[in-house]
Amino acid sequence: MPEEAIAASRPGTGFWSDARVERLLGAVACLVLLLIVGMIGFVFAKAWPSFADNGLAWFTSGGDVDLQLEDIFASPSNPAEYVYHLRAWPLLWGTFVVTAGAVLIGIVFALFAAIFIVEFAPSQVNRVLEPVVRLLAAVPSVVYGLIGILVIVPWVGEHLISIERKESVANLVQLDGASISVGILILTVMIVPIMIAIVVDALRAVPRSWIEGAAALGANRWRVTWTIAVRTARPAIVAAAVLATARALGEAIMLSMVAGSASFAPNPIDGITFLFEPTRPLASALVENVEGLSVVPFGETLFAFAAVLLVSSMFLSLAGFVAKQSMRKYGVRP
Amino acid sequence: MTRSRSLTVLIALVLSASLALTATATAATITMSGSTSVAPLATKLAKAFVNQPQNKGNVKFVILQGGSDIGITDVSRGRVTLGMSSRDPKPADPGGIVFNKIARDAVCIVTNSSNPIASLSQTQIQDIFSGRVRSWSQVPGASASGPIDLVVRTAASGTQDAFQNIFMGQTLRVAGSATTKSSNGLQAQTINSDPNAIGYASFHFTAGLHPVPYQGVPCTLRNAKSGQYAGSRNFYFVSRGAATGIAQKFIAFSRSSTAQALVASNWVPLR
Repeated sequence: MPEEAIAASRPGTGFWSDARVERLLGAVACLVLLLIVGMIGFVFAKAWPSFADNGLAWFTSGGDVDLQLEDIFASPSNPAEYVYHLRAWPLLWGTFVVTAGAVLIGIVFALFAAIFIVEFAPSQVNRVLEPVVRLLAAVPSVVYGLIGILVIVPWVGEHLISIERKESVANLVQLDGASISVGILILTVMIVPIMIAIVVDALRAVPRSWIEGAAALGANRWRVTWTIAVRTARPAIVAAAVLATARALGEAIMLSMVAGSASFAPNPIDGITFLFEPTRPLASALVENVEGLSVVPFGETLFAFAAVLLVSSMFLSLAGFVAKQSMRKYGVRP
Repeated sequence: MTRSRSLTVLIALVLSASLALTATATAATITMSGSTSVAPLATKLAKAFVNQPQNKGNVKFVILQGGSDIGITDVSRGRVTLGMSSRDPKPADPGGIVFNKIARDAVCIVTNSSNPIASLSQTQIQDIFSGRVRSWSQVPGASASGPIDLVVRTAASGTQDAFQNIFMGQTLRVAGSATTKSSNGLQAQTINSDPNAIGYASFHFTAGLHPVPYQGVPCTLRNAKSGQYAGSRNFYFVSRGAATGIAQKFIAFSRSSTAQALVASNWVPLR
């Protein structure tokens, strides 16, 4: 090696000196921060007219969201006469029901699947199971959407929903198979693989000595797993739930295909019918209406949807952080 | 050796780029905005216009969408050369603009193929879509039973606008219980898999569905052409004052028999 090259690789000398690299990487990191701040600022600036016109009533219910969107789209071209009237509660409620349903069901499945993989499964089974789980996590959502709309939705509409059930709510809403239950089902399948992967990693990180210690005291395998491993891995379980919720919140295409595309707030009082009622989450409403973006007030309304999604995912990260704090004491870091 | 070769390639790239720049600098540009329903047809016509021998390399198109009203506003303020509109002129439109009709398009009422209704009148269509009639048993000639499932398009859709204008009029609204789909494909798939569904579509999207005859006239290309089928709308290129120069040539080309033959593939030609 020539003399200069050795000199250049020493810390503090040559072009790529440690100080210079540090500053350079710091600049890149700052750029990411700047990008996020700029994006949030832009979205809120664009969304402001919609919030300003409706006030807090934006978040309440009242009237038909689809008709309100139609009126906003048909606004006169004079800026003084722009229509902004919107009561977005059905969209917010739809987002909440579908996301919460999928994450709650998903976390149970993911936890038990992860326990099986780490503590109970023979290694031959694991050799197949783990790659399959990782592959499932990478399937594009539109593929799930296609399977949903071509197979599951028509099947549900034909076999699970009786004509009497359809007629009982026909004045309010149509039950054609595209529904929150199909949305939750497919969303669960979509988010479970990520959750399994995170929980598996956390369970593997539990110190072996803790588990062996518990086993030496006479606890059986299940009790050791449940009281030591799962308890230790709680922060990771929260992290998995947060990540899965973020993905579920942002899921647009698949839900727009299978969850019914009606701006309706499903009513839990309806009993079983509730499961077959359609809804339209925020992200789906955004992607479905995007062709009207160039109509100024309509575009600003869509940006308001985007702003609500942004804020909810920020609060989500915050809530996950707070939840993890109290579990830190005996936990392993996720 | 490799360095000198890559240098040659670089020089060639720069040369060709500058050549391309001078070529585009001399080309006239037609900007368009407006109806999402007209845009596919406008794109098709623009491609044919650009490929004409006398126009090769001399004309450039920028086609934006946004809805008929956007196109009309844009052209009246001089932001674009031509606006695209899938609706007729309204009294409230800005003054000084000219609607140049370039084609027609039929909007069909469609049902599931297992529910081949013989005919619907305008009143029946209004009753069904506004939610006054909610059961197929109340619709004469329907073989489906149970509640009617309305499958319509989102607010930003041009077809939604046409349906509203042709069939519903200005005062009636589609019932709030309707499912609103964001694309023709999703709407067609939903109607295809639900025997109780009814919706509307431009007639070249009706494959696999049952197009319901309107006032006894089947929704076909031939009937729309002859004017017997009442559910058709006009497509316009809107200009600010009478079109001049290259825009005038493009409109004249769009109405020529060559271009109208292209129109006939998916839409209704003028003659």
